[in-house]
Amino acid sequence: MTARIPRRAALLGTATAFAVPGLARAQRRGGSVTSAIYPGAWEEAYREHVAPPLKRMHNIDLEMQPLFAVDQIAKFAASRGAPPFDCFVLDPGPRVTGIERGMFERFDAAKLSNRAALPSILVDDWGVGCAAQVVGIAYNPKKVPKPGGYADLFRDPWVSRLGITGFQTTFGTISLIEIAKVFGGSETDIEPALAELKKVLPKLAAVGAPAAMPGLFQQGQCDVMYTNTQTVTTLKDRGVDIEFAVPSTGASAFFTTLHIARGSENIDNAYKYIDVVVSRGVQDALQKAPYNFVPVNSGVTLGAGLPMRSLDEMARFNTHDWTRINPLRGPWIERFNREMAK
Amino acid sequence: MSLAGSLSPLAGDRATGVGLPPPRPSPASGGGRWALWAPALPLALAYAAFFVAPLLMLFVVSFYTDEKLEGFGLNQWRRFLFDAFHWKVVGDTLLLGLKTVAATLVLGLPLALVYRAASPFWQRVLLFVVVMPLLTSVVVRTFAWIVILGREGLVNQLVLGLGLAADPLRLLQTEHGLVLSLTQIEMPLLLLPVLAVMSRIDPNLMDASASLGASPWRTLVRVILPLAAPGIAAGCLLVFASSTTAFISQSVIGGGRLVYLPAMIWQQAMVVANWPFAATAAVALLLSVSAVIAVIAYAGRVAGGRIHG
Repeated sequence: MTARIPRRAALLGTATAFAVPGLARAQRRGGSVTSAIYPGAWEEAYREHVAPPLKRMHNIDLEMQPLFAVDQIAKFAASRGAPPFDCFVLDPGPRVTGIERGMFERFDAAKLSNRAALPSILVDDWGVGCAAQVVGIAYNPKKVPKPGGYADLFRDPWVSRLGITGFQTTFGTISLIEIAKVFGGSETDIEPALAELKKVLPKLAAVGAPAAMPGLFQQGQCDVMYTNTQTVTTLKDRGVDIEFAVPSTGASAFFTTLHIARGSENIDNAYKYIDVVVSRGVQDALQKAPYNFVPVNSGVTLGAGLPMRSLDEMARFNTHDWTRINPLRGPWIERFNREMAK
Repeated sequence: MSLAGSLSPLAGDRATGVGLPPPRPSPASGGGRWALWAPALPLALAYAAFFVAPLLMLFVVSFYTDEKLEGFGLNQWRRFLFDAFHWKVVGDTLLLGLKTVAATLVLGLPLALVYRAASPFWQRVLLFVVVMPLLTSVVVRTFAWIVILGREGLVNQLVLGLGLAADPLRLLQTEHGLVLSLTQIEMPLLLLPVLAVMSRIDPNLMDASASLGASPWRTLVRVILPLAAPGIAAGCLLVFASSTTAFISQSVIGGGRLVYLPAMIWQQAMVVANWPFAATAAVALLLSVSAVIAVIAYAGRVAGGRIHG
């Protein structure tokens, strides 16, 4: 008996001798999580407001891969089973593509300590919303009067100052769908929008690449465009004369969502990362200038520049079914190229 | 024995074998060939793995019939080749490259002539000025052109200030504006090889030409330009290849109404996720640009050959 205790002690001691440094290392490292992130403002915002609390609360290092949504889908598809990152951040179109192609782990929202603060519309079996985006019309109040709706964009004085972009982005796609609806089209019929655009094409101030639009507006190349509230508030913070107008047919809304990549080896850390992103403190910080995100945590008071006072009001906004839009988007892009080409 | 060989100071020694370094292995022998190629092997392997193999994959992907890469066929090629719009895009892309080459030549060659005639100090200054744009990111240079060409940009402020026009000129999102900005952006690629060739031209040849009664213009056309032809061809080649594939400048300066192949490839690969069609367009871009580059290189060799031999 007496002999067994030392043996146990010795075993325990040996185990401890091997385990303690490992535990210490693990605690010191705390692990890491790699998340895809939109380049630019998103990357900066997450570096400033998400990485520090993630490290402080869970001792997890956040590594970010700056990639646009479509690039994330393409990179994951090319990786063939070895995910290049643990988390996706996606707009609705690529999100549907990701679901259809089996790119996400099943999501269990019960693992989030902030679950109760998230509107149920933001959570499903595949991920969780991390920011809302509201799309409408931006205009320069010193150059043109406030437009009433999308139909106004095709009349003077707006049409000659209008800058448009195509179907490459989520905000461009849903804006063109809304324009089509005004002229008799639908979510799956954008021909009326293209027909109206073709009529006014010579008058348009700019047909630009999506990334170039804020710069074109800032430089006065165009004074009215369809865009999201985040672009408007960001430009406004830089001193640009710009205001957001809610179209008479209503603003459109969509959510940017976080998903765990299928085959990720850091699933626990990914949940902790997502939990930190949607936490009240982080969402509040992300809402402030210069980032101007629309928060998803119901505990955060919405900023004055937004066209709603609570997230519940977003239920009134126009939303779109991307499972119907996605298959049509490729042909729409080609149609836009052909119709707009000089 | 050739005349050159008989005049060589080593010619006599070769017979005696005295005072000569040990003979180099013949390039024809196996060991010699290996010694010649061995230093290039790492780069050759990297080139094969990271360029040739992906290129072959690109060709293969272009023959998939569907986006899920499940069946083989000629669907994508049929779709690309039997559509006039795609041919227009190819033509516009090549034409953009040729216009940029022409503009860089018109503006760059006089500068190269000034460089040739300048003192060593001014040559260093000019070289610095030519290289300086390369130190700035092409994205920054491209966005700077929005500020210059915009409706409220520098050019329009000048034009309106001088009363040359009543309304702002439309410069952005036009092919003229795009060619202008690409001319500035790509200019170093033309000038660097041209300046390198120009600086090696023997000044005595100009004196000889003048003393034989040739006018400066005739000296330029018959002596300087043919001697500089290899450098000019190399510069044109670089400018053409770079401007036809300048995705950022084409998208930002050109806008959505000017459709070129790089933007079409990006849309198909990244937004639509139709890799086979994107690969088909990419191969079409590669082949069409390579064909024009081959013509430019041939023209350079012919022009250079007239004087070299």
